[in-house]
Amino acid sequence: MITFSRSQLVSAEFLENDVIRFNGIQEDHIYSMEVQLEVRVTDGEILSVKGDMKRYTNFVCPQAIPVLQTAVGLSLLEEGWDKKVMKEIGRKGCEHFAEIIIECGRCLKQAVLSNSLHDALSKDPSLDQTQFLMEMSA
Amino acid sequence: MTLRFLRNKVVEIETRPDGVLAVSWRLTDDLQKAEVNLLVQLPQLEIMEAEAKIDRFVPETCQSASERIKNVEGISIGSGLRKIVAGLLGGPDGCSLLMEAVLESANAVILNFTRPGIEVGESMPDDAEKLTLFQEMVKSSPRLVRSCIAFQDESPIMKNLNL
Repeated sequence: MITFSRSQLVSAEFLENDVIRFNGIQEDHIYSMEVQLEVRVTDGEILSVKGDMKRYTNFVCPQAIPVLQTAVGLSLLEEGWDKKVMKEIGRKGCEHFAEIIIECGRCLKQAVLSNSLHDALSKDPSLDQTQFLMEMSA
Repeated sequence: MTLRFLRNKVVEIETRPDGVLAVSWRLTDDLQKAEVNLLVQLPQLEIMEAEAKIDRFVPETCQSASERIKNVEGISIGSGLRKIVAGLLGGPDGCSLLMEAVLESANAVILNFTRPGIEVGESMPDDAEKLTLFQEMVKSSPRLVRSCIAFQDESPIMKNLNL
């Protein structure tokens, strides 16, 4: 049988003024966490963060919720951003919050590409999608 | 508001009757679809077999994912894994998706073994008993020390442990 399972779900909403809102959910047999990040597309800066710890293992864990605010101001495009999230949010707060924030961060470039492809296809449905993505990623 | 991007990721550990752990890691989003399967042998937690498949829009560096994943066969899940996997699958020409898949699978294997201890704590009605259990847990797993807020020096769990 399955003795451990984890699911992560990350969605991206494109708001006005160059901002993406990521909703990240991490659910597994032990923990349940949810975060919401608003990120400026141009420079990857985290503008705001909210988090909810729904299932955890001990009475100290919820003290990690205020630690999430240390992510504000961090850029998801700077070198080593993921290590910084794990150090500042994970080690000083909760590793599982850090994991779902990192997953949201990994989705930034992909979400922007996906959004661009969606717009391009609405103008030209016969567009070569692979070519478009290769050019956008270059 | 409709979404312009949605990613789903799942990692599952199946404990087979022969004791081997079958790890299934899968990702799907608007642009990518990937799957990594590992067989992990106890007690050394050695990766005996590794398979990978990446579909939809495949990054240039991940074109040979099904061959490249074979590099992790024979390595063990344990200390130094991050560096080893980065050396085998990462780097400028590496496939970061594969690297993430293997590390997340390894993390799930560790959590698979953590779950029974957590369940023991849940069955204890007494808070003092639970505290002792967490203290014993951190004493027997030094990797937990300062790994999160619950195991930082100021935490009530760490009080008088001198770790």
